[in-house]
Amino acid sequence: MLKQELNEELTKVGPGTPMGELLRHYWYPIAFVRELDEWPIKKVRLLGENFALWKRPGGGYGIMQELCPHRRASLVYGVVEEEGLRCGYHGWLFDEKGSCLDQPAEPDDSTFADRITAFAGRAEELGGMVWVHIGSDPAPELPKFDVYVDDGFKDVGHTVLPCNWLQIMENSVDPHHVEWLHGRYFQFLGEQQGFLAPPGFQKKHVRVGFDEMEWGILKRRVLEGMSEENDDWAVGHPLVFPYCMRVGGAGIEQMQIRVPIDDTHTWTLFYSSHQPPGMTAFPEQVYPVDYEFPWLDERGEHLVDYIEGQDIMAWVTQGDINDRTGEHLGKSDMGVIMLRRMFREQMALVAEGGEPTVGITHEPHDRIGLPCEKDKFGVDYTEFALSWISGGSSRYSPAKDQLKKLYVEAATIRGDDSWTLARADELIENSAAEVARRKRLAHQAERPTGSTAARGEG
Amino acid sequence: MTALPEVEPPPPGRTYRKDPAWSNHQEIPEPVGDRRLTGAHWWDPDRIAHEADQPRFCPACGGALDGPGAIAIEYWQAEVRVFHTRCDRCDWKGDITRVDRVVGVEAPHD
Repeated sequence: MLKQELNEELTKVGPGTPMGELLRHYWYPIAFVRELDEWPIKKVRLLGENFALWKRPGGGYGIMQELCPHRRASLVYGVVEEEGLRCGYHGWLFDEKGSCLDQPAEPDDSTFADRITAFAGRAEELGGMVWVHIGSDPAPELPKFDVYVDDGFKDVGHTVLPCNWLQIMENSVDPHHVEWLHGRYFQFLGEQQGFLAPPGFQKKHVRVGFDEMEWGILKRRVLEGMSEENDDWAVGHPLVFPYCMRVGGAGIEQMQIRVPIDDTHTWTLFYSSHQPPGMTAFPEQVYPVDYEFPWLDERGEHLVDYIEGQDIMAWVTQGDINDRTGEHLGKSDMGVIMLRRMFREQMALVAEGGEPTVGITHEPHDRIGLPCEKDKFGVDYTEFALSWISGGSSRYSPAKDQLKKLYVEAATIRGDDSWTLARADELIENSAAEVARRKRLAHQAERPTGSTAARGEG
Repeated sequence: MTALPEVEPPPPGRTYRKDPAWSNHQEIPEPVGDRRLTGAHWWDPDRIAHEADQPRFCPACGGALDGPGAIAIEYWQAEVRVFHTRCDRCDWKGDITRVDRVVGVEAPHD
């Protein structure tokens, strides 16, 4: 339980707020490289502020306040030139540092441009995404986490959720929810609707542990029938402070990213790099596969028959900003408590004019490896991966079939001949998505006119 | 190459878009109604007790526990309310429990 004042301090992300000032020390993914290649300017919103993001014709990115300092028209409707971004309204030109380079309608001998600077951040490309830093200089290095730089088949599902980012982050240090939300509840749905819930998630937590680390909080668990020798405890996986979680298993290497758009909206991404053990050559990609996945059905009800849909139900139904003056935490919520404590500690460092000490580096680097278990919940690698693909948001991926083949081929390379495409298809046939699809088709066959396909089932 | 799935427009009345549109993301659903608490609830006594009992000063150095960097979060352990605290002045971290009644444990008899 928290006091309302503290709840607000922990959830408000706009400029000038304690949390907003802390969060402005970090880099955020804001768009896909693909988008800027298709059209070189994009309007984006981050931490309660609007920006114009653009790409130079010769490469390189810039991010600048959305409204032109001249007459405050949107720079999103501007012209991209090699020197920078030119306002479409009167042609003022700004470079990536915000300096005004040209004011075409002013007299030739005017020095007015020297008085004008637009707010500008920094933008860089990594892992098929454009990342931005909108805090003050010197910006830290953009952390090149393993998921973004290692070889693998990249697949990114994403959506915008109407809730505060902190309630999503608190879920990342709440291990017990897995056995209930993704375990018992998923199993219950399966029993009702005739599908097989993914294996392993139902196992009871015997012990959970949390360790502070330079990148956040390392989360560990011992499940029933397992020991501290298993990866789930011996390795664990981290909450990556302040807005990500590194997770995975069985060759799925994933970063769950929660970008605070503003106090009540969060851009949520599941960035997966598929690296099944044994596989060394991956299908060529110009960009990561990216797609928006649905989480509400046509009636506005939550889609809860896949893992991330279940999480989203829990995050969003807490309200736009969870009122923590009405919560009742227990001993099992120590991870949540630890995260709030870390936020308060880091907010104070920034309020005193310092810099955060967690989740930040100024050292140039090529790669940052994060701990993450491979053997997940003691389930067969291929079975786990295929269940994840068919029982998670990846089921909406346009590359779903490619992923299936990748994991079956990898099993063969490892000498596991028990997996074939036919067996994989059989497993997927019994997944929630396929059972729901068959039911929908049967329903449509019964009512050939006047019915519509459920949004999000495809 | 990337292939984007077909995006079906949401049905009227179920979604909203901020004005002006701030992103080219797919339209997003309206937030769940404001769930900030108003009126009387069964947990109001807990909320009042939280405000009344929250430790104000660090047991180690006397620093304020409601200032920047400090925190006192309440959780329950059976019937006991525990405040997990962190002091920003001395970095003391620990649990503080209010004791209303001291109950001893009888030593085992032979």
